[in-house]
Amino acid sequence: MHPGIYESVLDWIPNGARVLDLGTGDGAFLERLVKARRVMAEGVERKPELVARCIQRGLVAHQGNIAEGLDQYGDQTFDYVLLLGTFQELISPMEIVREAFRVGRRVIVAYSNFAHYRVRLQILFGGHTPVTKSLPELWYRTTNLHFLSILDFREFCRQMGVSAIRQACFSSRGEVGFLPNLFAEEVVTLLETDKRQGPEAGASGGREPGGTAGLNP
Amino acid sequence: MTGARANIAQGDLQDQKITGYQSPLGVTRTQTATLRGVQMQSGFTFDQVEVAYQTLGTLSARRDNAILVCHALSGTAHVAGLHPETGRPGWWDYHVGPGKAVDTDKFFVICSNVLGGCDGTTGPMSVRPETGQPYGMDFPAVTVSDMVTVQAKLVEHLGLSQLFAVIGGSMGGMQALAWAVNLPDLVRVCIPIATCASHNAMQIAFNEIGRRAIITDPNWNSGNYTPECRPKHGLAVARMVGHVTYLSEYAMTRKFGRTLQPRIAPADAEEALFTVENYLHHQGESFVNRFDPNSYLYLTKALDQFDLFGGQPPQEVLRRVSARFLVISFASDWLYPPAQSRELVRLLKRARVAATYINLETLYGHDSFLIQNPEFANVVRHYLENEYRNGNFPEAGAAI
Repeated sequence: MHPGIYESVLDWIPNGARVLDLGTGDGAFLERLVKARRVMAEGVERKPELVARCIQRGLVAHQGNIAEGLDQYGDQTFDYVLLLGTFQELISPMEIVREAFRVGRRVIVAYSNFAHYRVRLQILFGGHTPVTKSLPELWYRTTNLHFLSILDFREFCRQMGVSAIRQACFSSRGEVGFLPNLFAEEVVTLLETDKRQGPEAGASGGREPGGTAGLNP
Repeated sequence: MTGARANIAQGDLQDQKITGYQSPLGVTRTQTATLRGVQMQSGFTFDQVEVAYQTLGTLSARRDNAILVCHALSGTAHVAGLHPETGRPGWWDYHVGPGKAVDTDKFFVICSNVLGGCDGTTGPMSVRPETGQPYGMDFPAVTVSDMVTVQAKLVEHLGLSQLFAVIGGSMGGMQALAWAVNLPDLVRVCIPIATCASHNAMQIAFNEIGRRAIITDPNWNSGNYTPECRPKHGLAVARMVGHVTYLSEYAMTRKFGRTLQPRIAPADAEEALFTVENYLHHQGESFVNRFDPNSYLYLTKALDQFDLFGGQPPQEVLRRVSARFLVISFASDWLYPPAQSRELVRLLKRARVAATYINLETLYGHDSFLIQNPEFANVVRHYLENEYRNGNFPEAGAAI
């Protein structure tokens, strides 16, 4: 992933926030976030050997897939829910984002832009499934299930009733400001629920009693 | 995978034939404490209770590094090191000792035999002061909470006002959970392993097979057996059934496959034909020599009746918990399936208790915590180290 994505997340998350990192891997970034921002953090990771690395780093970690992981938490337990390396691998991104908004107030999503000009050129002139820096695997090896552009993601957000309040786009040359849907390879975006029509519309379950109780130290 | 095969071949330290085992702790001794006025959940009060216990390592100047290890159904106070008489290693010597999962260089480790047990703590075998005879089945009902009450008295007797951690697998895990719920101010870290908040029907069913085997043994005599005439066969069968439930199909296939016993006539139906049969016979016999049948009845009843929430809403029960949790399950454990641990973690998290959960993919079944298991050992060691360090320097705390 482009290092700018991690820098943006570090930049957006305030000190002392409560953060849930979905697909936390070996916990390297989460540990960095904890140290830099003194956040109270938990990670969800599917592979036990990576959860063991998180434990070694002193992180609170949960071994399980993302849907299972989210189900563990009560409503509005977190300020921020991170989906940084996993968004395109989710079987049903809508359900996961909806659940993420149930357990957290804001959600940060990172993804690869499938409308980058090199992708377009490879399809148009090469006639094959594109392989780029941000989509490095061949079609039969990739773990990505979904391919989307910045425009697609915007439409996705509209349908979910959420909007991007921050967005940062990157290519191998750095941050992209001009025509991001054409020139950005990777995107990270901070989402918040629209006031009028939120994702709760489809979310299950009411607030738990004592949902405002403080987290344990 | 060769490592896993070796671990399976070596098995646990409880009833196997063990030769040439080295423990870095050398010989370790068990002591006995006498505790006065101990009240049970049932209302029964013991004037005094004897508790067999072992301590390892050194208590820190701040008295903040004590870890209570809770043993499982067949465990004893002899947790690690070599027994002064038999020379056998303690049941958790693989994971308790210098540099091990529970590091005796860093922590002061306490392990006591449970109430109702038969390895030095007051139980059905103990002599009843009023009659001069063993309690037998007149022993009062024992619960997991009663075991914890006795352990808490022992901890107080040892001059400690708080434990850094409570850790245990299976029945030991239930005790760890009961500690965190019943005595929330006394525990900073709780590590329940391969356990559950309450038994399901299958777990109760397997225990009932074991109990039936004992009480239908003619020698059981309503619990009034003599040392010369004990219901050995019933207890051995109970142990054989139990032992199978502690293993995984993979481990049994690896360990025994269809290997035949040497030099027997296949037509002889009474003889053990396969190695696995012989192994189970040995497990049963070895267990019979060190375990009391009535104790087995009492402890399995305590397990079956354990219910962490006691019919109350889990959120209310868990709200008073202040410990941080590391919950460990094993993918190959079909007796205490990971789903039970996952549900426990879900309830903890929904009550906003800091809980780390790992379901280890080790292949040895329920016994995964009793045998050599580096993945397990590393997780426990790192967790304890980090929590101890972060507890002393809270600003370094990395998590909720």
